[in-house]
Amino acid sequence: MTQAPGPVAGKTEPSGLFAAADVTRKIRRAISWSALAPPLVFIAMLLAVSVLNSNYLGPLGISIATATAAPILFLALGQSMVLNIGSIDLSNAAIALLGALLLALALPPMGFGAMIVVLIAVTVIGAINGAVIGYAQVPSFALTLGTLAILQTAALVVSGADTIYVTENREIVSTLFETQIFNAPLTFWIGIVMAAIFWAVLRYTVLGQNMTAMGKNELAATLSAVPTSRVRIIAYALSGFMGGLAGLSIVAQSGSASASGLGSDLLLPGIAAALIGGTSISGGQTNPLNVVFGGLTVGFVPIAIQAMGLGAQAQSLVYGIFIILVVALTTVRSRETVIK
Amino acid sequence: MATPTVLKFTNISRTFGSVSAVKSISLEIKRGEVIGLVGENGAGKSTLLKILAGVVQPDEGQMEINGVQMKFSSPNDSVKAGIGVVHQEQSLFTNLTVAENLDQRNSGRIGYKNWARLNSQATAALKKIGIDLDPKSKISDLSFVDRQMVEIARAVSIDPDMKGTPLIILDEPTAVLEQNETAVLEHEIKKLKEFASVIFVSHRLDEIMRICDRVIVMRSGKIVSDKKTGEVTKQDLFRDMAGGVSQTAHVDRNRSPAGAKPAIEVKGLTRKGKFKNISFAARPGEIIAFVGSNASGREAVARAVFGAEEYDSGSIEVKGKAVSHWNIRKAVKAGLAYIPSERKVEGMIAGMSATRNVALVHQGDGATGPFLRLRRLATAAQTWFDRLDVRPNLIALPLISFSGGNQQKVVLAKWLNSPHINVLLLDHPLRGLDVGAAQTVDAQITKACEAGAAVVLIPDTIEEALEMADEIIVMRDGEISARHDLRVKHSLTLQDIVAEMV
Repeated sequence: MTQAPGPVAGKTEPSGLFAAADVTRKIRRAISWSALAPPLVFIAMLLAVSVLNSNYLGPLGISIATATAAPILFLALGQSMVLNIGSIDLSNAAIALLGALLLALALPPMGFGAMIVVLIAVTVIGAINGAVIGYAQVPSFALTLGTLAILQTAALVVSGADTIYVTENREIVSTLFETQIFNAPLTFWIGIVMAAIFWAVLRYTVLGQNMTAMGKNELAATLSAVPTSRVRIIAYALSGFMGGLAGLSIVAQSGSASASGLGSDLLLPGIAAALIGGTSISGGQTNPLNVVFGGLTVGFVPIAIQAMGLGAQAQSLVYGIFIILVVALTTVRSRETVIK
Repeated sequence: MATPTVLKFTNISRTFGSVSAVKSISLEIKRGEVIGLVGENGAGKSTLLKILAGVVQPDEGQMEINGVQMKFSSPNDSVKAGIGVVHQEQSLFTNLTVAENLDQRNSGRIGYKNWARLNSQATAALKKIGIDLDPKSKISDLSFVDRQMVEIARAVSIDPDMKGTPLIILDEPTAVLEQNETAVLEHEIKKLKEFASVIFVSHRLDEIMRICDRVIVMRSGKIVSDKKTGEVTKQDLFRDMAGGVSQTAHVDRNRSPAGAKPAIEVKGLTRKGKFKNISFAARPGEIIAFVGSNASGREAVARAVFGAEEYDSGSIEVKGKAVSHWNIRKAVKAGLAYIPSERKVEGMIAGMSATRNVALVHQGDGATGPFLRLRRLATAAQTWFDRLDVRPNLIALPLISFSGGNQQKVVLAKWLNSPHINVLLLDHPLRGLDVGAAQTVDAQITKACEAGAAVVLIPDTIEEALEMADEIIVMRDGEISARHDLRVKHSLTLQDIVAEMV
């Protein structure tokens, strides 16, 4: 009710050079802020933890935080690619969990091939998400909410509601966790490599340019011959693939998978990391390299909570507050698009 | 002269950073006067209007409204002082009724809605400007010109208790109206004169000459001419606006080599409820203009030809080859280009840099396989910026930060970046453009023609069609009502065509 429909109030459309310069300044400010915010938020968090209890920033703390961050980072990177085209993927955490279960089941009989088969399967699931949204013209929020429920059921059925332990060939995946570089597991470093790849895709490929264009204005992109259906399928396939990597990192860490165990609650942290990483919820803006900071920030939340002496139950509370704060601070308010 | 002065500006100035947008403007408007305000984009018109609307505050100078010295600190003050603004792009709430849109006093309040009072007030406001509309009808059900009337009613009905003369600002109200709708608006403005003063902003000088009592020309933030309409000619105004450069000469006809194969041939194209039995052919170098009212279906034809909308029957042939399962991707591959009329919504990616906008459809040598060569993309964009004189000359800026005319130049560059255009579909390519930008765009269209493109043009005005086209096709209610080959027929007048439109 603050925007009264006066004859002038709602209408300050810039026309002419001078108003344009004004807008430019605003946009520049928004861009530089959203580019710097993710590392700043992370550094602020580290400082807070070090002031409260510097012991938490030792090798063990870093190891725990990066291990926590790894699956979140994978999901956040996939989510960022989907958010960047102006959609959302609510099913990616469920894909990760199903992927983890399938991997735990397939590793003993199949060995190394299990990883490849599972990654292909989850990529296909993601692609199906994208295809259905495009061809049936369903809002992504609604559709992926549906697939989320379906995949959760599938996870329960596959696992028989039990924890599945990787009885053989465990070392094939556990090396990915146990190999530590600078106190961080290999899975986390793979996440950083993926971030760099995504960053390059967005910046240096026709596909990436099309993704960003589509996220900023899908109609104009369509009329500029951007193959929006294909771009959408690819974005969701990437999200599925990253869900698979998240599943992989869960199995690598715990040597088991269950529909309610480690990784069963990654949807919110994944979205939080993408947003804290500066990805716009309304599409067309993301920087995968910054999403790494988003993932790290979210990964450090449990440690920060301990350092503050709060119970583990406060985790979701902190994610929630973070999301609201970050979105409030970084949203470019001139955009009139609605999240689809 | 006992006519009271409604508005008086004395040495109003305003700077933005180092740029001075409005320099020491003094002007006076009397009761009942209709003032035409013209000038190129960036001449300072918008800033002047924003000062009047209370959006922008002047740095210097005095402003008197109805004899009282005023200082607006917000748009609200301006509304209270009796200034109503009608914007080019409408600001009505389309999901509400006419009466709800006209009710301004309650708009910020939460509470019980007195529908009877609301509707009777709305009826009174509509009656005041003499239009017959049901206050209970939803805005989304109204035609564009009717919505414009509601905007005017809202601007006029600022405050029924106000004593002074209201000042109505019409900011390019006709830019998106068709000929017959503009006539309705002109009639309304005449009625407004009885109790209000009007500032009318338009790029169409014909209208200015018809409607206004006085024309003010702005250039570089200053008023360069302020004369009675009877004392100036269109050519004078052009010269004043552009600072010496006059309008382009009439284009030559017959650019097309005789007997050339049509670049595009459409036969019996039909879509139920939109258009019926549309046939035409355009050879390389030809310009075919489609004229008609908003409801004539010509936009839908252009979109169907581009593959952006479906058609039920009929055929499209590009370079003699019939197309099937037509879509935008195939159309672009076949060398078609389409500039939509809704530039901001459909024509450009506002938040993306100009460079990337240029590279959106055709990357040329800026891409090797799936990979982009950023330096080459920048070179390509820079070449277009220089060639089309895009200002400011900064290719990395997001496209939204450019003015309308410069945005359109970039949109054009996006398509011209193609190695070979066979068909250029242009839906209102000059909408909202100032004279300079329009000339640049026109020159590029002509150049594309010379390079062998066939042009299908949906012009803003019939004059534009008469000036540019080789053939004019008139559409009415989704069907072709007349065709004129201007290469053989030279006596065609505007009136003839209007008669065929309605």
